[in-house]
Amino acid sequence: MSTLYRAEILTKVFKDRTVLNIDHLEIEKHKIYALIGANGAGKTTLLNLLAFLISQTSGKLQFCGQEVTSDRGHLLDLRRRVVLVDQYPILFTGPVWKNVEFGLKVRGVSKTARRKRVEEVLELVGMETFIMADAHKLSGGESKRVALARALAVEPEVLLCDEPTANVDEENQEVILRILERINVEKRTSIIMATHYLAQSKRLAHHTLMLEYGRLSEKSSLCAALGSSTG
Amino acid sequence: MDLLLDSLKSAFLLLLACDPELFTIVGVSLKVSAISTLIASLVGVPCGFLIAYSSFYGKRLLLTCLNTLLAMPTVVIGLLVYSFISRRGVFGSLELLYTQKAIVIGQVILIVPLVTTLTIAAISRIDNRYRSTALTLGATQLQMALVIIQEARYGIGAAVIAAFGRVIAEVGISMMLGGNARGFTRTMTTAMALEYDKGEFVLAVALGLTLMTIAFGVNLLFHFFQGRTHVDTL
Repeated sequence: MSTLYRAEILTKVFKDRTVLNIDHLEIEKHKIYALIGANGAGKTTLLNLLAFLISQTSGKLQFCGQEVTSDRGHLLDLRRRVVLVDQYPILFTGPVWKNVEFGLKVRGVSKTARRKRVEEVLELVGMETFIMADAHKLSGGESKRVALARALAVEPEVLLCDEPTANVDEENQEVILRILERINVEKRTSIIMATHYLAQSKRLAHHTLMLEYGRLSEKSSLCAALGSSTG
Repeated sequence: MDLLLDSLKSAFLLLLACDPELFTIVGVSLKVSAISTLIASLVGVPCGFLIAYSSFYGKRLLLTCLNTLLAMPTVVIGLLVYSFISRRGVFGSLELLYTQKAIVIGQVILIVPLVTTLTIAAISRIDNRYRSTALTLGATQLQMALVIIQEARYGIGAAVIAAFGRVIAEVGISMMLGGNARGFTRTMTTAMALEYDKGEFVLAVALGLTLMTIAFGVNLLFHFFQGRTHVDTL
């Protein structure tokens, strides 16, 4: 087993509220993890920590055996290996292709290579006909697929998805889940996705992590709590 | 009423005749105002971004100070700059007094707080997800800042236009630091004040019409940018 993330006594406190308090967490490479928990359980906070967008209040976090520090250069290197797709992804003003090429452009990839990659990923998410469309005129489901394409364009080692199918119609839900399955199998991309849906977790995930009040908890109690939302 | 109508008629004729003096005055006004606005934007926009995106001790006090500076009368700035650049001042040897450079210095001081506060307001309205999205996609701090500025461009554009409108219509700084020298530091507002003093209303009214036309154009631009900002946030 090769470890992707390892966390020890990891806490995150916002003002006086402890939103995350994890004693031990180990995540393997090339696997799909589902992060399940009720609203306010700390799923988004954990994903933001794993995406190196926020820093922990205390505890240790390791990525591929390397300690995560607050050094800017170090964080930039780490961020270029991990991408987080937000629950409500925001697209930059401009056409779809410009959004999708963003991660490549900031990495200094050539124009020709960018164009080729943009076309590839848009085809992967079934949005190739929208390449010239205004990003702000897309529907919720289309925006999610473009955001996913934008994340996949940089070929991340780890893809973090916060509720990838929330507020999306069934057709788009299915498309998104298939893409996640496919990139895990074909590209061996590690995926950690927060979800409310146990059915999605059962279908996709190799491992399921349960979060309750910021703590990793036993599966059974939370399954009962979320039993009604197994969409 | 006759005086106004006669002045208006003569002013229109002056404008139609492309009076050289009138156009020199308008040219000086536009030149110093454009340079002041450019310099103030180069200072104010980055400052506004930094203030909006950083958290530091005394930020609220700084914002209060900036807001207070918005109400600073032009004559106070004129006096302040005068004390520095007059012959007995620290920078007296540079011989800046009664030059266009002196007007620019004063106008920059006048509008830097305006550009900064309006930039802060424009940046603060931008959804924080733009920042986190840019960072997670591998952007450096500078690249992330450019994304934010790109998203806030209409608000920032409106700030720059508002600043231009402020300097082109000010009279205190131009009069005190420029000295109203004909063909050199005479701006539309100082010329209007002079013509009024002389009882010569025609040139004053013509300049007033020109100033109002420019102000109208600036406001049209301002509303265009404001409208785009509004549409973007919908």
